[in-house]
Amino acid sequence: MNCAECRENLVACVEGLLDREESLQCQAHLETCAACRAEHAAITCLQQQLVARGPATAEVSIIGPVMRRVHAIQTEREGNSIMTKLFTRWGFGLSAAAGAAAIILIAFLVFPKAQATAAEVMTKGAQAMAKLTSIHLRGQLRTEPQDNFSYINADCPFYTIELWKQFEPELKWRAEKPGRVAVMDGQSTVLYIKAANYGARFPHPSPSAFDTDWLQRIANLSNTISNELNRAQAKGWKLDTTEESAANGRVKSIVTIHAKSGIPENDYGKNSFFDNADTRRVYRFDAQTKLLEAVQVYLVRPSGETLIFDLSQIDFNQPIDPGLWKLELPADVSWSQEPQKLPDNEKYTSMTAEQAARAFLEACAREDWNEAGKFMSPITDSLKEYLGGLEIVSLGESFTSKAYGGRFVPYEIKLQPQVFNVRVSNTNAAKRCVVTGMYDSKLRLQQDFKWSTEPEVLTNNDAYARLSPKEAAQAYFDAQSKLDWVEMRKFTSESDVEETRKQIEAAEKQGMDVHKLMPVMEAGEATWSAEQSAWFVKCRVSQTKKWNLAIRKDNPAGRWQVDGGF
Amino acid sequence: MDLTDKEYVERCRDGHQDDFRLLVDRYQKPLFSFLAGRLRDSLLVEEAAQESFVRAFLSLKKLRKPESFYSWLLGIAGRVAKEQLRSLKHRQQDCEVTESIMANAADSRDDYPLEEAIAALPETYRQVILLRYYEGLSCQEIATRLALPLGTVTKTLSRAYTLLRQELAARESAETTVNQT
Repeated sequence: MNCAECRENLVACVEGLLDREESLQCQAHLETCAACRAEHAAITCLQQQLVARGPATAEVSIIGPVMRRVHAIQTEREGNSIMTKLFTRWGFGLSAAAGAAAIILIAFLVFPKAQATAAEVMTKGAQAMAKLTSIHLRGQLRTEPQDNFSYINADCPFYTIELWKQFEPELKWRAEKPGRVAVMDGQSTVLYIKAANYGARFPHPSPSAFDTDWLQRIANLSNTISNELNRAQAKGWKLDTTEESAANGRVKSIVTIHAKSGIPENDYGKNSFFDNADTRRVYRFDAQTKLLEAVQVYLVRPSGETLIFDLSQIDFNQPIDPGLWKLELPADVSWSQEPQKLPDNEKYTSMTAEQAARAFLEACAREDWNEAGKFMSPITDSLKEYLGGLEIVSLGESFTSKAYGGRFVPYEIKLQPQVFNVRVSNTNAAKRCVVTGMYDSKLRLQQDFKWSTEPEVLTNNDAYARLSPKEAAQAYFDAQSKLDWVEMRKFTSESDVEETRKQIEAAEKQGMDVHKLMPVMEAGEATWSAEQSAWFVKCRVSQTKKWNLAIRKDNPAGRWQVDGGF
Repeated sequence: MDLTDKEYVERCRDGHQDDFRLLVDRYQKPLFSFLAGRLRDSLLVEEAAQESFVRAFLSLKKLRKPESFYSWLLGIAGRVAKEQLRSLKHRQQDCEVTESIMANAADSRDDYPLEEAIAALPETYRQVILLRYYEGLSCQEIATRLALPLGTVTKTLSRAYTLLRQELAARESAETTVNQT
């Protein structure tokens, strides 16, 4: 081998790609040629520097966070979202208060007098809280118990939502509503949804995560001020201040901010999340202590205002039980994982939203959970039970919302009949069979019906008292499917009727054809339980579901991922 | 099929902003290495890397030579790192942590010119270097990924080494001149 041949093969030699004979020839030449040996040493030296880069960056993956910020910026640029500009940096204590003060000063220079007064009240509130070491907020939010922390629905009842936040010595927080809890213990950030036994976790501390931003902002008033005033100034929101005297003679300063989301009225995502809604936010401060005492947020729609969030308990600098930073989770939690690139990733990245939605639903239809898992993580047992064996009726053309970074694909599917059990009892004064609880197929309690009063004796009570448990359960279902609330009341509690009626009304408001989509329920055999002094009626439900699948691809793998919409 | 930087940048400018993800995917690791040489603290490096990409996205329309995306990105990242160091200096209250990061940063500033030299390579050579060392692919895997004969990959790699060495030597010589004057 001469010098030219050796140089040509040097990289292949270093990479171990030469066959044995070529390699030996190359080595032999290197032993005799100082120039080629120097070249070999230089390449090896450079290679070593380069090789060191690999392990140091092997775990790096910032595509998700970067693309989320990029999407937030895009939305903001389009002027479509007021609050989606996330507060990526959080300052606490004095430095944050100082930052707020600087912004307030600017606000004073350019704001009309009423706004300057509002700014002044809020600034004093921030100063009063400058030495904040911890805060606990407890309020009521119109939402679904297990849904997103920022999900709002004016037609839902109020549910308790709480935030505990410790600023010193180390930032920790916990947000909780009845079906969902998120904890940041200073090391990692975990979300758990009880009904689905679903979890998501970041292996690092996060100042805010899992759509708790809006609540965390209230917990840090100095940020609230700077952001609210910045927005008000930039977007021309109205701010005003009033004073009122409480019954105990204490004066309250009330700052009201009229926030506009900028999202058109006919947008699908409008008013579904806290930050996408037009709201009137009312902050109440004690004029003497300057401390924030209450917050009310009203959803503002053309039809009028609805109170959606009522925060009346704010505890400053009270000790927080360390047990709150610990989450006791079942061993079999289904953990969410960020999608990773697949060997045939391109097949999926080249799909349209409609194609991805179809591929996902088809995988569910044939219960191919491995394939379905490429479009959603995790596929929980409850989701398998719900979607397994479905039949696709139709899929529509996808559409977007200014409030969402992905697309929505309209779908109509027939779900496999599912088995559940109804507990029926006639141990009441009217001696009629009435429904007292719902159980799943494995007889695990799903809902215990609360009867505030005993079933009343009806004018034609005998006719109802003659119904068997199975017949009573079927009559209950029939009344429900006919939306006959009076008849339904004869078989179930007032609260069950009310809840069902509200759900139906909410579905109608969202444009669903509820008569067509009402589940078909069929009562089967009844079994007596001596332990519960009640019958368990085995039932089957067949349901057609027509809704919009939320699907997005701003993840490192670039594949469409189902985000919700069941 | 992978597109060139120029093609991705042009697609992003034409409204396919989701394609920015592919540029992040391509350069996140070398950018980390580059920033690690300036900041060392892993949280700061991650923050700076995210910030650099986001700023690049915001200024994409101003990029005159789309084919020079990576070297332009490193310029942005250099400024972000400087801002972070300045900001750290101002937060002297947390002195122990800050001082240690500052000291590390001062020690290491010249240890990592490699990423800048890689940025100066023509795209064909840069691509092979990134796949080989930052993505950890073997020459055979690179050949499969780029649909090239194995021999072409080793020749490209060989040429890339030569160009890299020349670039590093030129940088060293320029620095020596500056230090002497």
